[in-house]
Amino acid sequence: MRFRHRRTASAGALVAAVVLGLSSCSVVLGEEESLLDATSLTVGVKGDQPKLGLKNDDGEFEGFDVDVAYYIAEKLGFSKEEVDIVEVTSANREEKLLGEDKDKDKGKDEKVNMVVATYSITPERKTEVTFGGPYYVAKQDVLVRAEDTHIQGVRDLEGLTVCQGEESNSAARITEGLGIDIEQMNAPDYSSCIDALREGNVDAVSTDNLILAGFLAEEPSAFRLVDQPFTDEKYGVGLPHGDVRACEAVNKAISQMYQDGTAQELLDEWFGETGLEAVTGEPAHVPQFEGCG
Amino acid sequence: MTPPDLARVGRRRAALRRWFGTTPAKVWLSASACVVAVVGLFGSAAFAFDQARSGLHVLKEGAGPQAMATTELYLSLADMDAHMADVLLMGTDHDLGSRREDALKRYDTSRTKANETLVQAALLTEDDEVEKRNVQLVLDGMGAYERLVTRARLLNDEANAPSGRVDQEALEEYRRATRLMHTELLPKAFNLGLDSSAIVRADHEERQSAAGFGLVGVGVTGLMAVTALLALQMYLRVRFRRRMNVPLLGATAGTVLLTAGMALALFCSSGHQREAKEGLDAVMALSRAGAISTDMQADESRYLIDPDRADNYQQVYLERAQQVLFCQANDLATYYEAIEKVAKDQKCPDPDEPDKNSDALGYLGPDAQKVLLSGSEGALAEVLESYAALQSQDRALRAAKEDGDLSEAIDIRMGITDAEDGAFQAYEGTLAELIQQRRDAFDEGNERSDATLSPWTWLLPGGTVLLLALVVSGVRPRLAEYR
Repeated sequence: MRFRHRRTASAGALVAAVVLGLSSCSVVLGEEESLLDATSLTVGVKGDQPKLGLKNDDGEFEGFDVDVAYYIAEKLGFSKEEVDIVEVTSANREEKLLGEDKDKDKGKDEKVNMVVATYSITPERKTEVTFGGPYYVAKQDVLVRAEDTHIQGVRDLEGLTVCQGEESNSAARITEGLGIDIEQMNAPDYSSCIDALREGNVDAVSTDNLILAGFLAEEPSAFRLVDQPFTDEKYGVGLPHGDVRACEAVNKAISQMYQDGTAQELLDEWFGETGLEAVTGEPAHVPQFEGCG
Repeated sequence: MTPPDLARVGRRRAALRRWFGTTPAKVWLSASACVVAVVGLFGSAAFAFDQARSGLHVLKEGAGPQAMATTELYLSLADMDAHMADVLLMGTDHDLGSRREDALKRYDTSRTKANETLVQAALLTEDDEVEKRNVQLVLDGMGAYERLVTRARLLNDEANAPSGRVDQEALEEYRRATRLMHTELLPKAFNLGLDSSAIVRADHEERQSAAGFGLVGVGVTGLMAVTALLALQMYLRVRFRRRMNVPLLGATAGTVLLTAGMALALFCSSGHQREAKEGLDAVMALSRAGAISTDMQADESRYLIDPDRADNYQQVYLERAQQVLFCQANDLATYYEAIEKVAKDQKCPDPDEPDKNSDALGYLGPDAQKVLLSGSEGALAEVLESYAALQSQDRALRAAKEDGDLSEAIDIRMGITDAEDGAFQAYEGTLAELIQQRRDAFDEGNERSDATLSPWTWLLPGGTVLLLALVVSGVRPRLAEYR
């Protein structure tokens, strides 16, 4: 009996050691968590940008970004039913992606897994967000009133008033980057800039050509895009920081989107009527990716 | 079955039950359990070592070196376009004769290199439809690019264009060529490089985790073998009233040692492979920095040959520079100053508060590459210094151009790109030194992993045979007592 007793004790110790060993190793072994392993996907898009991400009257989102999001999600293995599209703004994109949204009073988790919302890749943002793509490289351009035909390039803006969205960098790119002297006006968002342009309070609005093209498509007779693009804006797919597996899968999906012609179709569908050389003028080519590391 | 049959079966069963109750049967069974457990340990260890070795093979001879080769595709293509821009910039000026020949020769070398790396890329991506198509598109695009630049060069030569004044028709052909290069070839080449990194990463992680599971398997089967051996020891001790069975004790100790040794080897080998992988990641990131820098410095020539698009080329130059080493700056003047500061104290100035610092990011940014480049801080500092020197040459070049002194600007440009003592050559040299250091870390990790694994090709079978022999010699005398 003595032996028996001791044997159970040692067996118990053995089991404990195995279990401990296993669990500590599975921490070491366990693959990094990835949104690819989830059963559903919440994607953040803009809600106020015509042709890119716009919430329509039925509360549905539509636009180029929305279609790109569905395409990528499908290639990652999520059917349309498994994808939940929610609205994000420039101000809360990071918070929502990092799951640090303070505005949780609605009682539901507002965290998003992926952001496709004219989200420019910058070295600073890359320190807290992993970017797939870019899926499109937009260029900064200038939108003017249709009748102001004397403005043919960004250098013609010398001495004129240019509107930009708050916290945007676009005016600085003209004043500092190109050394052109302009009067800068800040509006809370680009829709307000467009209103100011229509009413004659400003002479031009400058930001990404895709955003401007969206507004132009709404009122083609009122405005004109100068179509002399300068500086690149790389629209990336924002992902939780460090989700390298998802990032690589997103890049593969974007390559496919260009190879199978979907990218071209979507650009034509949303921006074809604007007749912009820079957007739909030639076959779309896959952009140079940023890399997931 | 007839009743006699049933009776026979019943008798046989009873006999078997009786036999199982006897001491020799119990010794036999218990010893067999030990043998099975030791063989199981051998099997799981063989599997774990096989995974670890194939992980090493992937890094050392498989996808690892191929990925490095693919990363060079972008460099070769960017180099081709850079040398062609230089050739056009020099025109047919006879003073620059040898330099022109030199640039043409370097163009050919880059083209050959690009073709070679494309073959490597094709091999690496043969199982992947998306990337295979990209390789094909780059191959086709290269043909189209070469036709365009050849025509541009011929037109420029026929027009006897002096240096800095490219013939208009030749310029238009070159614009088409460089556009093709930058919208179609380079992005795809860059993405191919990224994808081969992704292949290496996925492969490496898969093997690492398989080797990890193998390690757990070795631990578990090792414990099972020790348990079986101890159980046999206990049984013999009780049944035969002997103090210790020395061979079995030896087998138990041997199993513990073997298991611990193998677990340690697998654990260390996996660590060395991780170090090698980090070295490889650093090599590839730095190679990308080199490739983008090549394209960046070529923007100087494009800026000089194409006055209509000079604004645009200047902006593109800044964008590429910021990919290589990022400090917040909206224009080149601010960027030059920031880079001088980075070369001095590894930090960017804060654009809003001049006495504060902000992080230096990008491929060469000390803040972005802390992990990948740890241990190579000295070499990185030299790279940053030579990069700042390159930027100060750029500043001089643009100042000369803005002052209307085109020939001075061309002289500076030729100085930067000089194959012997140009600022770009110096920068590439320091970068190559840094890359070599990380490459050494890669090789060292591989070698150490190899050194850890290789003795086990004979230690594992040898140890197993020894353990089995000890078990047999431990139970044989006891069984002999019952003959």
